[in-house]
Amino acid sequence: MSDTVVHLDGISKRFGRAVALHPLDIRIERGEFVTFLGPSGCGKSTTLRILGGFERPDTGRVILGGADVTGLPPNRRNVNMVFQDYALFPHMTVAENVAFGLELKGRSRAEIGARVAEVLALLELTALTDRFPDQISGGQRQRAALARALAPDPDLLLLDEPLGALDAQLRAQVQVELKEIQRRTGKTFFFVTHDQDEALTMSDRIVVMNAGRIEQDGSPEDLYLRPESRFVATFVGEANLLEARVLRTDGSEVAVDWQGVMLLGRMVGTPSQGTQVGAAVRFERMSLSPVRPDRTNAVEGRIAARIFKGSRTLVELEVGPHRLRTYVSGTELGTGDTAWLGWQSDDMAVFET
Amino acid sequence: MTAQTRALMIALYWAFVIYLFLPILMMAVMSFKDSNFIGFPIRAWTPDWYGEALQDGEFIAAGLYSLGIALTATAISLVMGTWLAVVLTHKFWGRTLLFGLTMLPAVVPGIISAISFRIYIRLIDLEPGTTAIIFGHAVHNVPFVALVVSARLATMPKSQIEAARDLGADPIVAFARITLPYLRPALIGGGVFAMLISFDDFLRSFFLGSYEPTLPVLIFSKLRSGMSPEINAIATMVLIATAALGLWAERSMRARS
Repeated sequence: MSDTVVHLDGISKRFGRAVALHPLDIRIERGEFVTFLGPSGCGKSTTLRILGGFERPDTGRVILGGADVTGLPPNRRNVNMVFQDYALFPHMTVAENVAFGLELKGRSRAEIGARVAEVLALLELTALTDRFPDQISGGQRQRAALARALAPDPDLLLLDEPLGALDAQLRAQVQVELKEIQRRTGKTFFFVTHDQDEALTMSDRIVVMNAGRIEQDGSPEDLYLRPESRFVATFVGEANLLEARVLRTDGSEVAVDWQGVMLLGRMVGTPSQGTQVGAAVRFERMSLSPVRPDRTNAVEGRIAARIFKGSRTLVELEVGPHRLRTYVSGTELGTGDTAWLGWQSDDMAVFET
Repeated sequence: MTAQTRALMIALYWAFVIYLFLPILMMAVMSFKDSNFIGFPIRAWTPDWYGEALQDGEFIAAGLYSLGIALTATAISLVMGTWLAVVLTHKFWGRTLLFGLTMLPAVVPGIISAISFRIYIRLIDLEPGTTAIIFGHAVHNVPFVALVVSARLATMPKSQIEAARDLGADPIVAFARITLPYLRPALIGGGVFAMLISFDDFLRSFFLGSYEPTLPVLIFSKLRSGMSPEINAIATMVLIATAALGLWAERSMRARS
């Protein structure tokens, strides 16, 4: 059952001599919560601005709801955006802000009133109807901006790092709310962020971008458990990265040599024997024990540091010149003790460098 | 800074303030003198000069004429100045040159500008009179409006217009419904200052006018035929009105930014 809302067909963009976006091809299905995740300058915001009509791609087409809108200005696309700074109109009340898009669509007064009330109720802003943006809190402004973008019933909602301005505690709460609103409205959300935690919490699908290209496109679980590139492994979540050399390959399994120890991992791509590779293992997938553990892979070292993090403790194990990190919930082992780290071959992704 | 030097600096500042305001204070004081001649000693006081000034048809007419000119010139300069400020936000070849040209009328000496306008209206076959004065004042006011509006425009986040466009506004609607309200304090401030400059202007009005005098021109011609406390009364009233307007505009600009 495929119902494509957006099809970006080979779009690319350069600013002067800098390439912001290499030709990119992607389809977004109706009702999806898609997050474009990447560091600043990776092309995620350029993609968003091309969708909104604020930038014109150098090549390719933007197909929205089956129609080519590549050359259309923002006001002629059925797409609305939640801006990073919210961009609420300071001289209008919350209700007037929300009504703005409806007025410009030429809706009747009664229709506008009903829709504004409905959207404000959905976002629990009814009590703030007649307040001005500078009279409400940051979290409320964020919701007002969301209400304003949702009111005209767009095919696609663009969200440009809308949680960046909120403090950590509020952000965690808003993430859950935002996901809930998306579920209830059934709208297609196109979310842009550099915060992997935000992406993992809310998204149905995450597109990781780096240097103007898509690194990986998949579910949060896929990305976290089965990263397909060194970049994804290190950008999403926390991972130990081992510089190793391929000993042999067997189907999808690969044996590598790291610090004189043979380790088994899951192969991404087609590294051949003898090549230098990167192997990534999530911190929490490595388990710490005083004796050799019953795992596919095990290495011995000396505990170099223990860092208390509240609910868990970060332990750094020194193995030759390297340090491997893991989280434990509690351990008898102390700094200076000899210990083992073990992990299964499935938990180690091996990439070509 | 020692206590002595600080005291000295404060004393110097007050000396300067007194030097600045003493003549104005003298003018106001003389407007209450019960005599036809300006000067000390003052033996008797009276508020009668104010009553006489308010009944003097010549002054009232000149005041209203000046006000009309100021309002019209301000309206024109608001439109032109805002237009220029908006144009100057875009990057284009010759932008610096246009900015310089926009600001030029503010720095050209008044007498040069007045004479130039006088020559210019002859060239375009415009008779000296109301239209010529309004034209001269409007041109002179544009840079002040453009400067104030530019400063305000520079503080407006780019996302404001993008949000308006995103919600369905074409560039004209976005300007009218988002940019103009945002510029409101600058338009009030720039407008009031333009009005005050125009109301106060002597040189351009003198060179470009016909027989009907603006208020400053009338006061000037009266001075030549001898000072009377009535002029002091008029000047005091104009001073209070313009100072109040100026202070209000300055406050409303600061309060909203």
